Amino acid sequence: MMQIRNSSSRWGAGAQLLHWLMALGIATAMGLGWVMVNLPMGALKFQLYAVHKSLGITLLALVMLRLVWRWLNTTPPLPGQLPRHERWLAHGAHRALYALMLLMPLSGYVINSAANFPLNVFGLVQIPNLTPESEALGEWASRIHLALFWGFVLVLAGHIGGALRHHFILRDDILRRMLPGRSPR
Amino acid sequence: MRSYPVLALALGLAAMPALAADRWQIQHPDSRLGFEATQQGGQFEGHFADYSAQMRFSADDLANSGFDVRIDMTSVDTGSGQRDNALPDKPWFHTEVFPEARYVTREIRRTDDGYEAVGDLTIRDNTHEVILPFTWQVDGDTAMMDGSVVIDRTRFGVGQGEWQDPQVAGHDVEVIVDLTLDRVAD
Ligand code: HEM
Repeated sequence: MMQIRNSSSRWGAGAQLLHWLMALGIATAMGLGWVMVNLPMGALKFQLYAVHKSLGITLLALVMLRLVWRWLNTTPPLPGQLPRHERWLAHGAHRALYALMLLMPLSGYVINSAANFPLNVFGLVQIPNLTPESEALGEWASRIHLALFWGFVLVLAGHIGGALRHHFILRDDILRRMLPGRSPR
Repeated sequence: MRSYPVLALALGLAAMPALAADRWQIQHPDSRLGFEATQQGGQFEGHFADYSAQMRFSADDLANSGFDVRIDMTSVDTGSGQRDNALPDKPWFHTEVFPEARYVTREIRRTDDGYEAVGDLTIRDNTHEVILPFTWQVDGDTAMMDGSVVIDRTRFGVGQGEWQDPQVAGHDVEVIVDLTLDRVAD
Protein backbone atom coordinates (compact mmCIF):
# COMPACT_ATOMS: atom_id res chain seq x y z
CA MET A 1 0.00 0.00 0.00
CA MET A 2 1.42 3.33 -1.09
CA GLN A 3 1.50 6.08 1.48
CA ILE A 4 -0.44 9.29 1.01
CA ARG A 5 2.38 11.66 1.90
CA ASN A 6 5.73 12.03 0.20
CA SER A 7 8.81 10.27 1.55
CA SER A 8 12.45 11.23 1.00
CA SER A 9 12.66 8.73 -1.87
CA ARG A 10 9.30 8.98 -3.66
CA TRP A 11 6.16 10.96 -4.20
CA GLY A 12 3.19 9.85 -2.12
CA ALA A 13 -0.27 9.07 -3.44
CA GLY A 14 -1.51 12.63 -2.85
CA ALA A 15 1.18 14.26 -4.97
CA GLN A 16 0.87 11.56 -7.65
CA LEU A 17 -2.87 11.92 -7.92
CA LEU A 18 -2.54 15.71 -8.28
CA HIS A 19 0.28 15.33 -10.82
CA TRP A 20 -1.52 12.91 -13.15
CA LEU A 21 -4.96 14.43 -12.74
CA MET A 22 -3.54 17.80 -13.73
CA ALA A 23 -1.48 16.31 -16.56
CA LEU A 24 -4.66 14.87 -18.03
CA GLY A 25 -6.60 18.07 -17.40
CA ILE A 26 -3.96 20.35 -18.92
CA ALA A 27 -3.64 18.19 -22.03
CA THR A 28 -7.43 18.22 -22.42
CA ALA A 29 -7.68 21.99 -21.86
CA MET A 30 -4.98 22.58 -24.48
CA GLY A 31 -6.64 20.28 -27.00
CA LEU A 32 -10.07 21.84 -26.36
CA GLY A 33 -8.63 25.36 -26.58
CA TRP A 34 -6.98 24.65 -29.88
CA VAL A 35 -10.02 22.96 -31.41
CA MET A 36 -12.65 25.41 -30.15
CA VAL A 37 -11.00 28.61 -31.43
CA ASN A 38 -10.78 27.06 -34.88
CA LEU A 39 -14.39 25.85 -35.02
CA PRO A 40 -16.98 27.84 -36.97
CA MET A 41 -19.68 29.68 -34.98
CA GLY A 42 -22.15 27.18 -33.67
CA ALA A 43 -23.52 25.30 -30.72
CA LEU A 44 -20.52 22.93 -30.53
CA LYS A 45 -18.08 25.85 -30.35
CA PHE A 46 -19.93 27.37 -27.39
CA GLN A 47 -20.22 24.06 -25.61
CA LEU A 48 -16.48 23.47 -25.94
CA TYR A 49 -15.79 26.99 -24.67
CA ALA A 50 -17.93 26.27 -21.62
CA VAL A 51 -16.12 22.99 -20.91
CA HIS A 52 -12.72 24.59 -21.54
CA LYS A 53 -13.39 27.39 -19.07
CA SER A 54 -14.84 25.08 -16.42
CA LEU A 55 -11.92 22.68 -16.76
CA GLY A 56 -9.44 25.57 -16.64
CA ILE A 57 -10.93 26.94 -13.42
CA THR A 58 -10.84 23.44 -11.92
CA LEU A 59 -7.16 23.26 -12.81
CA LEU A 60 -6.57 26.62 -11.15
CA ALA A 61 -8.12 25.24 -7.95
CA LEU A 62 -6.08 22.05 -8.25
CA VAL A 63 -2.75 23.85 -8.69
CA MET A 64 -3.38 25.89 -5.56
CA LEU A 65 -4.19 22.72 -3.66
CA ARG A 66 -1.07 21.19 -5.13
CA LEU A 67 1.14 24.06 -3.97
CA VAL A 68 -0.28 23.76 -0.45
CA TRP A 69 0.29 20.01 -0.49
CA ARG A 70 3.85 20.49 -1.70
CA TRP A 71 4.48 22.97 1.09
CA LEU A 72 3.08 20.55 3.71
CA ASN A 73 5.20 17.64 2.46
CA THR A 74 8.87 16.92 2.03
CA THR A 75 10.00 17.02 -1.57
CA PRO A 76 12.00 13.94 -2.55
CA PRO A 77 15.38 15.37 -3.62
CA LEU A 78 16.83 14.72 -7.06
CA PRO A 79 19.47 11.94 -7.06
CA GLY A 80 22.88 13.17 -5.89
CA GLN A 81 24.75 11.95 -8.99
CA LEU A 82 22.82 14.38 -11.20
CA PRO A 83 25.13 16.98 -12.82
CA ARG A 84 24.70 20.52 -11.58
CA HIS A 85 23.36 21.96 -14.82
CA GLU A 86 20.76 19.17 -15.13
CA ARG A 87 19.65 19.72 -11.58
CA TRP A 88 19.36 23.42 -12.35
CA LEU A 89 17.41 22.68 -15.54
CA ALA A 90 15.00 20.32 -13.80
CA HIS A 91 14.29 22.75 -10.97
CA GLY A 92 13.89 25.59 -13.44
CA ALA A 93 11.43 23.57 -15.49
CA HIS A 94 9.40 22.69 -12.39
CA ARG A 95 9.24 26.33 -11.31
CA ALA A 96 8.20 27.33 -14.81
CA LEU A 97 5.51 24.63 -14.81
CA TYR A 98 4.02 25.90 -11.56
CA ALA A 99 4.06 29.46 -12.91
CA LEU A 100 2.38 28.30 -16.13
CA MET A 101 -0.20 26.21 -14.25
CA LEU A 102 -1.17 29.39 -12.39
CA LEU A 103 -0.88 31.95 -15.19
CA MET A 104 -2.52 29.88 -17.92
CA PRO A 105 -5.92 29.62 -16.22
CA LEU A 106 -5.58 33.10 -14.70
CA SER A 107 -5.07 34.71 -18.10
CA GLY A 108 -8.06 32.76 -19.43
CA TYR A 109 -10.12 33.92 -16.47
CA VAL A 110 -9.11 37.51 -17.30
CA ILE A 111 -10.21 37.08 -20.96
CA ASN A 112 -13.61 36.00 -19.71
CA SER A 113 -13.80 38.69 -17.03
CA ALA A 114 -12.80 41.49 -19.39
CA ALA A 115 -15.62 40.40 -21.72
CA ASN A 116 -17.90 40.52 -18.67
CA PHE A 117 -19.20 37.07 -19.55
CA PRO A 118 -20.66 35.01 -16.72
CA LEU A 119 -18.71 31.91 -15.72
CA ASN A 120 -20.53 28.96 -14.30
CA VAL A 121 -18.16 26.10 -13.52
CA PHE A 122 -19.65 22.88 -14.92
CA GLY A 123 -23.14 24.22 -14.21
CA LEU A 124 -22.43 23.97 -10.48
CA VAL A 125 -21.26 27.35 -9.22
CA GLN A 126 -21.09 30.78 -10.73
CA ILE A 127 -17.83 32.51 -9.93
CA PRO A 128 -17.40 36.30 -9.97
CA ASN A 129 -15.39 38.13 -12.59
CA LEU A 130 -11.89 39.32 -11.71
CA THR A 131 -11.71 42.56 -13.66
CA PRO A 132 -13.97 45.31 -14.93
CA GLU A 133 -15.17 45.09 -18.51
CA SER A 134 -12.43 46.20 -20.91
CA GLU A 135 -11.86 45.37 -24.53
CA ALA A 136 -8.17 46.35 -24.39
CA LEU A 137 -7.52 44.20 -21.33
CA GLY A 138 -9.32 41.28 -22.97
CA GLU A 139 -7.12 41.55 -26.04
CA TRP A 140 -3.98 41.59 -23.93
CA ALA A 141 -5.10 38.63 -21.86
CA SER A 142 -5.94 36.76 -25.03
CA ARG A 143 -2.43 37.37 -26.42
CA ILE A 144 -0.86 36.29 -23.14
CA HIS A 145 -3.06 33.18 -22.98
CA LEU A 146 -1.83 32.14 -26.43
CA ALA A 147 1.81 32.99 -25.68
CA LEU A 148 1.65 30.99 -22.45
CA PHE A 149 0.29 28.06 -24.42
CA TRP A 150 3.45 27.99 -26.54
CA GLY A 151 5.54 28.46 -23.43
CA PHE A 152 3.74 25.50 -21.89
CA VAL A 153 4.37 23.35 -24.96
CA LEU A 154 8.07 24.20 -24.82
CA VAL A 155 8.57 23.52 -21.11
CA LEU A 156 6.44 20.37 -21.24
CA ALA A 157 8.54 19.02 -24.09
CA GLY A 158 11.62 19.43 -21.89
CA HIS A 159 9.85 18.03 -18.83
CA ILE A 160 8.48 14.94 -20.59
CA GLY A 161 11.68 14.46 -22.59
CA GLY A 162 13.72 14.62 -19.39
CA ALA A 163 11.50 12.09 -17.61
CA LEU A 164 11.70 9.67 -20.52
CA ARG A 165 15.48 10.09 -20.79
CA HIS A 166 15.85 9.22 -17.12
CA HIS A 167 13.65 6.18 -17.46
CA PHE A 168 14.83 4.67 -20.73
CA ILE A 169 18.38 5.94 -21.18
CA LEU A 170 19.75 6.63 -17.70
CA ARG A 171 17.51 3.86 -16.28
CA ASP A 172 17.06 5.55 -12.90
CA ASP A 173 14.02 5.93 -10.62
CA ILE A 174 13.03 9.49 -11.50
CA LEU A 175 9.89 8.54 -13.46
CA ARG A 176 9.06 5.54 -11.28
CA ARG A 177 8.88 7.62 -8.12
CA MET A 178 5.99 9.55 -9.67
CA LEU A 179 4.24 6.28 -10.62
CA PRO A 180 2.10 4.10 -8.39
CA GLY A 181 3.13 0.55 -7.63
CA ARG A 182 6.58 -0.81 -6.87
CA SER A 183 8.77 1.12 -4.54
CA PRO A 184 11.97 2.37 -6.14
CA ARG A 185 14.94 0.12 -5.71
CA MET B 1 -70.67 80.68 5.15
CA ARG B 2 -68.99 81.83 1.98
CA SER B 3 -67.06 78.56 1.73
CA TYR B 4 -70.19 76.46 1.82
CA PRO B 5 -70.67 76.09 -1.94
CA VAL B 6 -67.02 75.05 -2.35
CA LEU B 7 -67.40 72.42 0.33
CA ALA B 8 -70.56 71.16 -1.27
CA LEU B 9 -68.78 70.91 -4.61
CA ALA B 10 -65.91 68.99 -3.07
CA LEU B 11 -68.23 66.56 -1.36
CA GLY B 12 -70.18 66.11 -4.56
CA LEU B 13 -67.01 65.36 -6.54
CA ALA B 14 -65.82 62.79 -4.03
CA ALA B 15 -69.12 60.97 -4.22
CA MET B 16 -68.91 60.73 -8.01
CA PRO B 17 -67.07 57.75 -9.59
CA ALA B 18 -63.69 58.67 -11.05
CA LEU B 19 -63.70 59.14 -14.81
CA ALA B 20 -60.32 57.44 -15.21
CA ALA B 21 -57.59 56.07 -13.04
CA ASP B 22 -54.71 58.36 -12.07
CA ARG B 23 -52.07 59.16 -14.62
CA TRP B 24 -48.43 58.44 -13.68
CA GLN B 25 -45.09 59.45 -15.08
CA ILE B 26 -41.96 57.31 -14.78
CA GLN B 27 -39.06 58.91 -12.89
CA HIS B 28 -36.29 57.50 -15.03
CA PRO B 29 -33.30 58.09 -12.75
CA ASP B 30 -35.00 55.97 -10.06
CA SER B 31 -36.45 53.34 -12.35
CA ARG B 32 -35.15 50.29 -14.11
CA LEU B 33 -36.48 48.08 -16.84
CA GLY B 34 -34.14 45.15 -16.56
CA PHE B 35 -33.77 41.47 -17.27
CA GLU B 36 -31.82 38.43 -16.17
CA ALA B 37 -30.67 35.82 -18.64
CA THR B 38 -28.10 33.04 -18.95
CA GLN B 39 -25.18 32.52 -21.27
CA GLN B 40 -23.31 29.19 -21.28
CA GLY B 41 -25.13 28.40 -18.07
CA GLY B 42 -23.94 31.57 -16.32
CA GLN B 43 -26.31 34.31 -15.25
CA PHE B 44 -26.03 37.94 -16.32
CA GLU B 45 -28.13 41.08 -16.04
CA GLY B 46 -29.07 43.78 -18.45
CA HIS B 47 -31.44 46.68 -18.86
CA PHE B 48 -32.98 48.98 -21.42
CA ALA B 49 -31.88 52.58 -20.99
CA ASP B 50 -34.66 54.08 -23.11
CA TYR B 51 -38.31 53.28 -22.66
CA SER B 52 -41.46 55.27 -22.19
CA ALA B 53 -44.91 54.47 -20.98
CA GLN B 54 -48.39 55.80 -20.63
CA MET B 55 -49.56 54.56 -17.28
CA ARG B 56 -52.91 54.85 -15.61
CA PHE B 57 -53.44 53.21 -12.28
CA SER B 58 -55.79 53.55 -9.34
CA ALA B 59 -56.21 50.72 -6.92
CA ASP B 60 -59.92 51.54 -6.69
CA ASP B 61 -60.41 51.83 -10.41
CA LEU B 62 -58.62 48.89 -12.01
CA ALA B 63 -61.13 48.85 -14.83
CA ASN B 64 -59.74 52.14 -16.08
CA SER B 65 -56.12 51.31 -15.25
CA GLY B 66 -53.70 50.25 -17.92
CA PHE B 67 -50.15 50.50 -19.27
CA ASP B 68 -48.76 51.09 -22.72
CA VAL B 69 -44.99 50.64 -22.70
CA ARG B 70 -42.58 51.22 -25.57
CA ILE B 71 -39.03 49.94 -25.32
CA ASP B 72 -36.17 51.15 -27.49
CA MET B 73 -34.42 47.86 -28.27
CA THR B 74 -31.26 49.63 -29.40
CA SER B 75 -30.77 50.89 -25.85
CA VAL B 76 -29.96 47.44 -24.45
CA ASP B 77 -27.06 47.46 -22.00
CA THR B 78 -25.72 44.27 -20.44
CA GLY B 79 -22.35 45.64 -19.35
CA SER B 80 -20.47 43.61 -21.95
CA GLY B 81 -19.35 45.22 -25.20
CA GLN B 82 -19.25 41.88 -26.99
CA ARG B 83 -22.82 41.04 -25.97
CA ASP B 84 -24.17 44.53 -26.55
CA ASN B 85 -22.70 44.57 -30.05
CA ALA B 86 -24.34 41.26 -30.87
CA LEU B 87 -27.82 41.86 -29.40
CA PRO B 88 -29.03 44.46 -31.95
CA ASP B 89 -28.03 42.09 -34.79
CA LYS B 90 -30.35 40.09 -36.98
CA PRO B 91 -30.43 36.83 -34.96
CA TRP B 92 -31.35 38.70 -31.77
CA PHE B 93 -33.38 41.93 -31.71
CA HIS B 94 -32.80 42.85 -35.37
CA THR B 95 -33.23 46.49 -34.39
CA GLU B 96 -32.81 47.75 -37.95
CA VAL B 97 -36.23 46.31 -38.73
CA PHE B 98 -37.73 46.08 -35.22
CA PRO B 99 -36.38 49.02 -33.24
CA GLU B 100 -39.15 48.92 -30.68
CA ALA B 101 -40.85 46.43 -28.40
CA ARG B 102 -44.24 47.17 -26.90
CA TYR B 103 -46.37 45.96 -24.01
CA VAL B 104 -50.03 46.96 -23.94
CA THR B 105 -52.26 45.78 -21.13
CA ARG B 106 -55.81 44.61 -21.67
CA GLU B 107 -56.73 44.16 -18.03
CA ILE B 108 -55.35 44.78 -14.55
CA ARG B 109 -56.52 42.39 -11.86
CA ARG B 110 -56.13 42.24 -8.12
CA THR B 111 -54.30 39.18 -6.74
CA ASP B 112 -53.46 37.90 -3.27
CA ASP B 113 -50.03 39.53 -3.40
CA GLY B 114 -50.93 42.67 -5.28
CA TYR B 115 -51.95 42.93 -8.91
CA GLU B 116 -51.33 41.40 -12.28
CA ALA B 117 -51.39 42.94 -15.70
CA VAL B 118 -52.68 40.90 -18.59
CA GLY B 119 -51.21 42.30 -21.75
CA ASP B 120 -49.72 41.73 -25.16
CA LEU B 121 -45.97 41.85 -25.52
CA THR B 122 -44.63 42.43 -29.01
CA ILE B 123 -40.99 41.81 -29.86
CA ARG B 124 -39.83 41.47 -33.47
CA ASP B 125 -43.49 41.62 -34.55
CA ASN B 126 -44.27 38.49 -32.52
CA THR B 127 -47.11 39.15 -30.12
CA HIS B 128 -47.91 36.93 -27.15
CA GLU B 129 -49.91 37.37 -24.01
CA VAL B 130 -47.75 38.06 -20.96
CA ILE B 131 -49.17 38.23 -17.46
CA LEU B 132 -47.05 40.45 -15.27
CA PRO B 133 -47.58 40.16 -11.51
CA PHE B 134 -46.64 43.35 -9.68
CA THR B 135 -47.01 45.35 -6.52
CA TRP B 136 -47.97 49.02 -6.51
CA GLN B 137 -47.30 51.12 -3.45
CA VAL B 138 -48.39 54.71 -3.22
CA ASP B 139 -46.81 57.24 -0.91
CA GLY B 140 -48.40 60.65 -1.45
CA ASP B 141 -47.92 61.52 -5.10
CA THR B 142 -45.24 58.89 -5.65
CA ALA B 143 -45.75 55.25 -6.52
CA MET B 144 -43.39 52.28 -6.61
CA MET B 145 -44.11 49.50 -9.01
CA ASP B 146 -42.24 46.19 -8.71
CA GLY B 147 -42.84 43.21 -10.88
CA SER B 148 -41.17 40.41 -12.77
CA VAL B 149 -42.15 37.77 -15.24
CA VAL B 150 -40.27 34.98 -17.01
CA ILE B 151 -40.67 34.84 -20.76
CA ASP B 152 -39.31 32.38 -23.32
CA ARG B 153 -37.16 34.44 -25.70
CA THR B 154 -37.55 31.91 -28.51
CA ARG B 155 -41.33 32.49 -28.68
CA PHE B 156 -40.50 36.02 -29.76
CA GLY B 157 -37.84 34.92 -32.22
CA VAL B 158 -35.01 36.36 -30.15
CA GLY B 159 -31.81 34.37 -30.68
CA GLN B 160 -32.18 32.51 -33.93
CA GLY B 161 -30.12 29.87 -35.69
CA GLU B 162 -27.30 28.49 -33.54
CA TRP B 163 -28.37 30.84 -30.73
CA GLN B 164 -31.50 28.78 -30.21
CA ASP B 165 -29.45 26.21 -28.32
CA PRO B 166 -30.37 26.65 -24.64
CA GLN B 167 -26.81 25.70 -23.62
CA VAL B 168 -25.53 28.68 -25.53
CA ALA B 169 -28.12 31.08 -24.12
CA GLY B 170 -30.98 30.03 -21.87
CA HIS B 171 -34.51 30.32 -23.24
CA ASP B 172 -35.94 31.75 -20.05
CA VAL B 173 -35.44 35.45 -19.52
CA GLU B 174 -36.74 37.15 -16.43
CA VAL B 175 -38.01 40.64 -17.13
CA ILE B 176 -37.78 42.87 -14.08
CA VAL B 177 -39.79 46.06 -13.74
CA ASP B 178 -38.76 48.40 -10.97
CA LEU B 179 -40.35 51.81 -11.42
CA THR B 180 -40.74 54.97 -9.42
CA LEU B 181 -43.61 57.12 -10.67
CA ASP B 182 -45.05 60.54 -10.00
CA ARG B 183 -48.76 61.24 -10.11
CA VAL B 184 -49.63 63.68 -12.87
CA ALA B 185 -52.64 65.95 -12.91
CA ASP B 186 -54.95 65.17 -15.83
C1 HEM C 1 -4.54 25.13 -17.60
C2 HEM C 1 -5.56 25.79 -18.08
C3 HEM C 1 -5.74 26.23 -19.50
C4 HEM C 1 -5.12 25.83 -20.67
C5 HEM C 1 -3.97 24.80 -20.82
C6 HEM C 1 -5.70 26.58 -21.75
C7 HEM C 1 -5.33 26.46 -23.09
C8 HEM C 1 -5.88 27.18 -24.13
C9 HEM C 1 -5.48 27.11 -25.50
C10 HEM C 1 -4.40 26.20 -26.07
C11 HEM C 1 -6.24 27.99 -26.21
C12 HEM C 1 -6.15 28.32 -27.69
C13 HEM C 1 -5.30 29.54 -27.83
C14 HEM C 1 -5.57 30.35 -29.05
O1 HEM C 1 -5.51 29.78 -30.13
O2 HEM C 1 -5.87 31.55 -28.88
C15 HEM C 1 -7.15 28.63 -25.28
C16 HEM C 1 -8.06 29.60 -25.63
C17 HEM C 1 -8.97 30.18 -24.73
N1 HEM C 1 -9.05 29.93 -23.36
FE1 HEM C 1 -7.89 28.70 -22.32
N2 HEM C 1 -6.68 27.41 -21.24
C18 HEM C 1 -6.74 27.22 -19.88
C19 HEM C 1 -7.59 27.85 -19.00
C20 HEM C 1 -8.60 28.75 -19.33
C21 HEM C 1 -9.53 29.34 -18.43
C22 HEM C 1 -9.60 29.09 -16.93
C23 HEM C 1 -10.36 30.16 -19.16
C24 HEM C 1 -11.51 31.01 -18.76
C25 HEM C 1 -12.03 31.09 -17.59
C26 HEM C 1 -9.91 30.07 -20.53
C27 HEM C 1 -10.49 30.78 -21.57
C28 HEM C 1 -10.06 30.72 -22.86
C29 HEM C 1 -10.66 31.48 -23.93
C30 HEM C 1 -11.85 32.46 -23.79
C31 HEM C 1 -9.98 31.14 -25.09
C32 HEM C 1 -10.28 31.66 -26.51
C33 HEM C 1 -9.16 32.32 -27.16
C34 HEM C 1 -9.05 33.78 -26.87
O3 HEM C 1 -10.07 34.46 -26.77
O4 HEM C 1 -7.89 34.23 -26.80
N3 HEM C 1 -8.84 29.20 -20.60
N4 HEM C 1 -6.90 28.12 -24.02
